[in-house]
Amino acid sequence: MSDMSEYKAASSAIAIRAENLTQRFRVIQERPDTVRELFSKFLRHTSTYHDFEAVKNVSFEIPAGQVVGLIGRNGSGKSTLLKIIAGVYKPTAGRVQVEGKLAPLIELGTGFHHELTGRENILLNGLLMGYSKREMQAKEQSIIDFADIGDFIDAPVKQYSSGMYVRLAFAVATEVDPQILLVDEILTVGDIAFQNKSFERIQKFRQSGKTIVLVSHAMAMIEAYCDRAILLENGSVMADGPTHEVAEEYKALMTPEAVGAV
Amino acid sequence: MNELVRETYRYRELIWALALKELKIRYKRSVLGFMWALLNPALMMVVLSLVFGTIMRFPIPHYAIFLLSVLLPWTFFAQSLSYSVESIVSNGDLIKKVAVAKLVFPMAAIVSNIINLLLSLIPLALLVPIMRHPFYWTWLYLPIPVLALVIFTLGMTFFFAVANVYYRDVAHILQVVLSAWFYFTPIIYSLDFIPQKYQWLFKLNPLIYVINGFRLAVYYGMLPKLQSIAASFVCAFIALFIGFAVFRKYQDDFVFYV
Repeated sequence: MSDMSEYKAASSAIAIRAENLTQRFRVIQERPDTVRELFSKFLRHTSTYHDFEAVKNVSFEIPAGQVVGLIGRNGSGKSTLLKIIAGVYKPTAGRVQVEGKLAPLIELGTGFHHELTGRENILLNGLLMGYSKREMQAKEQSIIDFADIGDFIDAPVKQYSSGMYVRLAFAVATEVDPQILLVDEILTVGDIAFQNKSFERIQKFRQSGKTIVLVSHAMAMIEAYCDRAILLENGSVMADGPTHEVAEEYKALMTPEAVGAV
Repeated sequence: MNELVRETYRYRELIWALALKELKIRYKRSVLGFMWALLNPALMMVVLSLVFGTIMRFPIPHYAIFLLSVLLPWTFFAQSLSYSVESIVSNGDLIKKVAVAKLVFPMAAIVSNIINLLLSLIPLALLVPIMRHPFYWTWLYLPIPVLALVIFTLGMTFFFAVANVYYRDVAHILQVVLSAWFYFTPIIYSLDFIPQKYQWLFKLNPLIYVINGFRLAVYYGMLPKLQSIAASFVCAFIALFIGFAVFRKYQDDFVFYV
């Protein structure tokens, strides 16, 4: 509750502020398989890793209520950036500030445990996302209604079809009423009816003035939903501005000549 | 240390839910379910009293109670460590995808084992009158050594869970260490069996003080000396202090190694 009021007061302010974010990964090229290899490596002092910067010095500010598309080709750092914002990665350098409750729709159903029932998983997943037991109990019924999986709610989730699994996960992640939504390529799951329902929900989030960060390769979707787009290339911001302009740049980047030249 | 208490309180509901999940899964698909938490130590007692009471007679009366009074806390210690050494690694998928306080995983492993320990004391309490061993009022003292044991175990757990993230060999080494540790702790024997000149060596074992408290209270009906109680808590807090300091230092790094 206190989160909410703080958020309301600052609603004209910045929802996400990223300052000089850099994320470095250590890529281990090969592991010594035998003790002998380990020793010979050790004696020769050869390095078996190199450092790789997935996100390089990225800064931006997202005002509350804006819908931002994060675009770029595979490996450009979109998902890493999303994980930094979600708090999964602690950036190597720089910092990120997030105002308000955040719901990551990154990989749905991550916190689900196969042996537990849908109902038990709703609670566990909510607790993992930082909500209290009381909040989750209050929302349980509306989550179940949205997921629409009938009696399966009291069966272990390992018996679910993949569609049911995703529906429940999507329902848990969105029904908790977050202020910021991080969406990573997940809206292509489920049948048409559920896809429409999910889009409707995202649309509703948008209309109620929530902040949304959307990662997608589907440019039609980015152009339909987003007020603004950020184009990442090799971990750096290549363009940042109104969606249609940035989308043009992205398309130029993806022409056969450009792709072939890389 | 403040941080540990604050975070534990903040995530209490999550820790509790994870601990229950662990128990639920451990006993799932077994016909007797949760009853196994009671049956396991009870059956162990039957075996032990048969072996040591009738076959290999030790010169200790009511040997089963003598043994179990410390074997149960030892089992808690060893099982907590074995479960939680993997707690970070086995939750790697979650850690890679959800922003969650990492300490909830070893904590949950400990909590589920505390429940097991408390349940296992019930068959012990039943065994005492069955063997016609006196039921001492010093049983009331047990929460104190339980507390010291939990703190000590928690510290060790934090340390080993971190080490296992970087070197998966740790989980295997731990098993060897635990079985050696078992024999160097007066569990199946009493410290009096050890020649005087080697006793100091055994007193370096940080577990000996807390283990002693369990045996004195349940078997002898006595309370440990004040300095022994103090020693058990000093060892416990040193372990917790080091363990948590290491955990805190590396926790943001786990996500890259699991």
